[in-house]
Amino acid sequence: MIRFLAVVERDLRKFLRNPMVVLVSILMPILYLIILGNSFQGELKNLPLAVVRMDSGPYAEKIMERLRSIEAGPRTVALYYAADQGFAMEGLKKGLFKGVLIIPPDFSRDILHKKTAEAGIFLDNSEPIASNSVRNAVSAAFSGIGSEFAAVREERARPLLRDIEVYKKIDYDQTLIPGVVIMAIFLGAMTTGVFNTVMDKFLGTEESYLMTPITKTDIVMGLLASGLFITTILAFLVLFISSLILGIYLWQVLTWQTVFAIFLVIVLSTLCLQGLLFVMLSRADHPRIVGVFGGFLNVILFFPSGAIYPVESFPWWLKAFSTVNPETYSVHAMRAIFSKGEGLGAVKGDLAFLAVFAFIMVAAATLAYKRRL
Amino acid sequence: MNAVETIELTKTFGEVRALDRVSFAVKEGELFGLLGPNGAGKTTLIRILTTLIPPTSGEARVMGINVVERQAGVREKIGVVAQALTTDLDLTAFENMDIYGRFYSIPKKERRERISYLLGMVGLKERSKDLVATYSGGMRRRLEVARALVHRPAFLILDEPTIGLDPQSRLVVWDMLRKLRQDYNLTILLTTLYMEEAEALCERVAIIDYGKIVALDTVEGLKNGIPEKDTVEIRFKEGVNKEDIVREVGALPFVCLAAWEDEGLRIYTDKGPASIPILLERFKKIGAEVTEVFLKELTLEDVFIRHTGRPIREEEAKKVSFFIGAGIPRRFGR
Ligand SMILES: Nc1ncnc2c1ncn2[C@@H]1O[C@H](COP(=O)(O)OP(=O)(O)OP(=O)(O)O)[C@@H](O)[C@H]1O
Ligand SMILES: [Mg+2]
Repeated sequence: MIRFLAVVERDLRKFLRNPMVVLVSILMPILYLIILGNSFQGELKNLPLAVVRMDSGPYAEKIMERLRSIEAGPRTVALYYAADQGFAMEGLKKGLFKGVLIIPPDFSRDILHKKTAEAGIFLDNSEPIASNSVRNAVSAAFSGIGSEFAAVREERARPLLRDIEVYKKIDYDQTLIPGVVIMAIFLGAMTTGVFNTVMDKFLGTEESYLMTPITKTDIVMGLLASGLFITTILAFLVLFISSLILGIYLWQVLTWQTVFAIFLVIVLSTLCLQGLLFVMLSRADHPRIVGVFGGFLNVILFFPSGAIYPVESFPWWLKAFSTVNPETYSVHAMRAIFSKGEGLGAVKGDLAFLAVFAFIMVAAATLAYKRRL
Repeated sequence: MNAVETIELTKTFGEVRALDRVSFAVKEGELFGLLGPNGAGKTTLIRILTTLIPPTSGEARVMGINVVERQAGVREKIGVVAQALTTDLDLTAFENMDIYGRFYSIPKKERRERISYLLGMVGLKERSKDLVATYSGGMRRRLEVARALVHRPAFLILDEPTIGLDPQSRLVVWDMLRKLRQDYNLTILLTTLYMEEAEALCERVAIIDYGKIVALDTVEGLKNGIPEKDTVEIRFKEGVNKEDIVREVGALPFVCLAAWEDEGLRIYTDKGPASIPILLERFKKIGAEVTEVFLKELTLEDVFIRHTGRPIREEEAKKVSFFIGAGIPRRFGR
């Protein structure tokens, strides 16, 4: 224990002696936030849309036909048919659907009687790009309905699409926050832990402690522990500062429960990434290798994580990759906790995946480390 | 018990045979030197003895413990100063020592006392709270030695402890090592590429070249083991009787050979500088007036040349190994 703590203390002291590192580690993810927030406006695909159709009339059928052709053609949405509204809304909250379209029982009759027909759409506005796309697709399906069949053109007879956003209004930039936090976690994990073993090897300092009785576990666990400590603090700072920039006052929004949930996500995500980097890089002999490889891995893990584009619009192979990508679960969990204000219960699955992944990686890191010059 | 014992120790890096069937022993309490030029295999040998790399074949024991089978046991017993400077630049001297002490699980109170004593011993007490980055090379080297002693090892191993130091700092390190040995009966094994260092400091010296130990003995023993002797060269005023002089000198018991060369008389002697007054007295008696006397004592350099067929080129050695001596491309070794 005394040795393990010595490794931790050595690492922390060295970190603190380089204040620039601290500053950069906080600034960079925030810059990402600003740049990313302004740079992505692409077309999305396969956004899951639940349809609760309670009307069997011709107009409802017509709308469904159009939605099906959107599903088959530009593939903006993927349709799911839900029998009851409660089930569909539950799915929306869990993130299974990006939107829920509700066609009430008297929809066709109202149009026929030239009354205002109202359908409802519920959107997951924690991901504004996705929910906008869903809204546009649905609007396209609704356009013209009512004028075609109605003999007399009557403005009021047009079906109204009432769109209800499920969560309190959030800006697109704000929904990037989980992505920015995961970015901070990655940078933290990359510049601590394995980076420091490679640096010690490179500078030759490694030689002096490999000839002491210190064990492999002391070294690996010590470095992971100090890296975890540093990264957790950095991630919280980044979360705090970037929210502040976007006008969110976390102390008004978060409860102790959600803070605890975020803490768990950050800790587990850090361990996943640190462990992963350790397994892949502990035998590198030049810090530049860590830099190059880390930069690459950052992109590879970040973009398929759903931090920017919803996972649903990826091609199948990327989707498959994102299901084993720990960042997917971190982003999903943080978004649920942070944007949607859900408690621990809603992110059980994510936490379980992260915990298992972290455990495997940390164990593998110890095995991969070679206690030899 | 021997502090070090190796049997046919061999280490190859690909094609390079860094150590070639090395068998030798260091006795307990001894100050033992490994003398060899760059690339001779000194660091490789030290790294095997300190459990950092495994030998390709052969066996080594340190303090009676096998370095391959019981690495942890060896590590507890030895203090090591590596060839490269390995203290952390962004920690203070105290922090460096304290963390090192904890790697050996030394309890806090004992650690504090020990560190303050050792820093005092190497003259760094006043600077103990400064970052090592602000130290000169010599200060850093002394810190490395102090750090290696923090757990009171019975056996201290130093790989080129004075490399990169000016002559004065070198003397400081020498004095320190001598004192350590006297006060604590420490066994010391050091490597060096400086003849004077081996000669001034070590009781026994092994000369290592191309991975092989080519000679091993006390400094005296090594010198006696080769036919060359100390030489005294004497120049005279013009017009002396050369034959008389040679005859006179040749009769002296400590003179092995006397011969005229272009400049003066060259005398090979086994009495070294002590022969000079006797010689001068003789010349005075026979009325030969002496103008200049040169003494060239036999050094380890001569021994080295005798065994390896070439001198150690010190100037080059210094430059090269300070920077890359310990940083051989590791990739090949793994
Ligand atoms: N890891 C390695 N990979 C490849 N070759 C190596 C390795 N370590 C040492 N060597 C080679 O083994 C030989 C002995 O090297 P070593 O470092 O032991 O020499 P040395 O006597 O310590 O020299 P110096 O005085 O320059 O420090 C050299 O030829 C060197 O190139
Ligand atoms: Mg060397």
